[in-house]
Amino acid sequence: MTSVLAGIGHYGLWLREFIGATARHGMPKGQMMAEAFKIGIKSLPILLIISGFVGTNLALQGYNAFKPLGGQRLVGMFVALAGVRELAPIIAAAMIAAKAGTEMASQIGVMKIREQIDALEVMAVNPLAYLIAPRLVGILLMLPALTTLAIFTMLTTAYMVSVHQLGLSGHEFLQFAEEAIQPIDFFYGAVKAVIFGAIICTISCYFGFNCGKGPEGVGQATNRAVVTSSVICIVLNYFVSELLYGGAL
Amino acid sequence: MIELRNVSKSFGGKEILRDLSLSTPKGKTTAIVGPSGTGKSVTLKHIVGLLRPDSGQVLCFGTDMATAPEHELYAVRRRFGMLFQDGALFDSMSVGDNIAFPLIHHAPEMTAKQRRERVLEKLKAVGLEDKYDATTSSLSGGQRKRVGLARAIVMEPEVVLFDEPNSGLDPITSDEIDELIGKMKVELGITFIIISHDIVGTINVADHIAMLYGGDLIAFEPTDKFVRLDHPIVKKFLKRNLILPTGPNEVARLPSVE
Amino acid sequence: MLDSIATIGRFGNFSGRIAARIMRRPLFLNEVVAQMWTTTIRCLLPVIAVTFPFGMVMALQGLEIFRLFGAERMLASLISIATLREISPVLASVLVAAQGGASCAASLGAMRIKEELDATEVMAVDAIKYHVVPRVLALTIACPLLNIAGSVSGVAGGYFTAVFVKGESGGIFMAELWSFMGPMDIWGGLIKTTVFGLAIGLISCYHGYRASGGAAGVGKAVNDTVVHSVVAFITLNYFLTSALFGSVSP
Repeated sequence: MTSVLAGIGHYGLWLREFIGATARHGMPKGQMMAEAFKIGIKSLPILLIISGFVGTNLALQGYNAFKPLGGQRLVGMFVALAGVRELAPIIAAAMIAAKAGTEMASQIGVMKIREQIDALEVMAVNPLAYLIAPRLVGILLMLPALTTLAIFTMLTTAYMVSVHQLGLSGHEFLQFAEEAIQPIDFFYGAVKAVIFGAIICTISCYFGFNCGKGPEGVGQATNRAVVTSSVICIVLNYFVSELLYGGAL
Repeated sequence: MIELRNVSKSFGGKEILRDLSLSTPKGKTTAIVGPSGTGKSVTLKHIVGLLRPDSGQVLCFGTDMATAPEHELYAVRRRFGMLFQDGALFDSMSVGDNIAFPLIHHAPEMTAKQRRERVLEKLKAVGLEDKYDATTSSLSGGQRKRVGLARAIVMEPEVVLFDEPNSGLDPITSDEIDELIGKMKVELGITFIIISHDIVGTINVADHIAMLYGGDLIAFEPTDKFVRLDHPIVKKFLKRNLILPTGPNEVARLPSVE
Repeated sequence: MLDSIATIGRFGNFSGRIAARIMRRPLFLNEVVAQMWTTTIRCLLPVIAVTFPFGMVMALQGLEIFRLFGAERMLASLISIATLREISPVLASVLVAAQGGASCAASLGAMRIKEELDATEVMAVDAIKYHVVPRVLALTIACPLLNIAGSVSGVAGGYFTAVFVKGESGGIFMAELWSFMGPMDIWGGLIKTTVFGLAIGLISCYHGYRASGGAAGVGKAVNDTVVHSVVAFITLNYFLTSALFGSVSP
């Protein structure tokens, strides 16, 4: 327990250092778009596969849950609410954590143990500003886009399952889905994506920068990065949802 | 020009440097030798400000690296070049981009063509002019060090630091690196500080030799005087029959200094 | 394309070698128990930390729909079905992949890079049997165990929000819960997670065992493990759900 608190404190101090360094040195030129492109392209296939399957599952489970009530017609609404508001942001975040986050942690960890971070320092280039700032901006640009993409993939596969496998009316599906979600929900999804993106990027880079010695150090840093960032995102998701949808606002 | 005054540093309660004072002469090559784990690398990291001492001063060009704020630290570092143990080349970049890296960040006034010329000139100096477009993963251990050295001198620094230039190399490659350092020394005429546990190469290159042992400076003499010193540990080290421990934990097993 | 077919072939071959060795004695049971224990302990907190808030979110969003037609009492059934059948098995497996699978790939990968696996072979001990088989078995067993913890904590999270935050009746929630939960919900989750655990074990050991290229190779093994495991069991999940819960035919 004390080690968790010490870790949070350490992370906070490191974060402050990063923000200070970026404020002093600014963003390295020409890196940001490359990072955004890498993050987006590399995570895209896995995100499409997973959100596609989650959409099918949502339709099946929604159908099961509402059938006793005679509310099968509500599947569209259920998919839209659960998918747009909760699952799409969470799944996009988890996939980015698994794909891009682990890559950040292991790349930076390797740079650390091979003295490349020290080399940056000695060449008078601030490693925090140089390495993290472009990755952070890249992820902040890409995650909202990926979240939106996940929403549409989910709705599409859920629609296909509802209509072709469960025999529901496609017209009704769309009607209920449209009723359930407002344009503001997409905005809220983007808000979640931005929060999750910032968490995934800083936590993964934090573990990379504090990587232990040797190959096991890199493995461990990568491992911790994905576990910590996905757990924090999911826990935080509840509070953000409560704030956005729970009437607390 | 580089002076350590009463520097002490501990890690986790273990004292690595104990009240170390050392001043390296300008324009000369100073070697800091000693068995592994006696604080050589820690000393080097203090000089470039990667580590800050628990007490004492580290003066580089009149700036105290122990207390200097970041911008002063960076200003000093621009006058340094450093060759890391394994080169510390960036794997995501080609050889040419690696060497151009400091220029891109600190000499924005240079055009791409000027940069390329400068990089090629330095690559030629280290004997790898055909490797401009090579990937870092295609390089051998000796070549990595050469590229690392080219990167260290590309900004035309006033001081070049070498962290174990011979480590991880076979004897023949190791000799070649020593030769290259000797050649650079003559051509550039700037201050070199070399950390090494390899005594043969050191004697051939260095003007002065400082010996660290268990966190203490036990000798600091011109090379010709150093090799004739009547000090039991120096003698042992020179005869190369001192059993070299491999990590800091094994320092405790070293015979104590009388 | 050819590359991924070759990978699938190598993976199949690797899995076959493991299967052949599970059949043969000795099984190094101590090693299995030790690995299983560490995996379970290290994943337990993350699994609970993730399923509990997920249960809370389900209650939050579920109530919104059910309140539309005054059927708040149905919430418990939605939460229990969704948690036991889908949410807990998938989330527990995601975390077993991220924590247990990743650390398995990291440790095997480091052993490969540091030539410890070669050293094991040179000492005439079967490296797959000694280092790999226990890890695969451990993950296969730990995953359903963690699913139980995840199911309980997910339903508890739903209960928490419904009763303490949204003011629903706790008695009705529990009564509905017991009346709707069938044995198949519990068995289904356990069967699913056993399959997922096996997939994670095989995938993580495959990547760890084949790691190459120094520390960066270990990082890549961990990365590939997490990504491939998640894709594998999300895909498997669709078919298992259809098969186990028969929801394919309306």
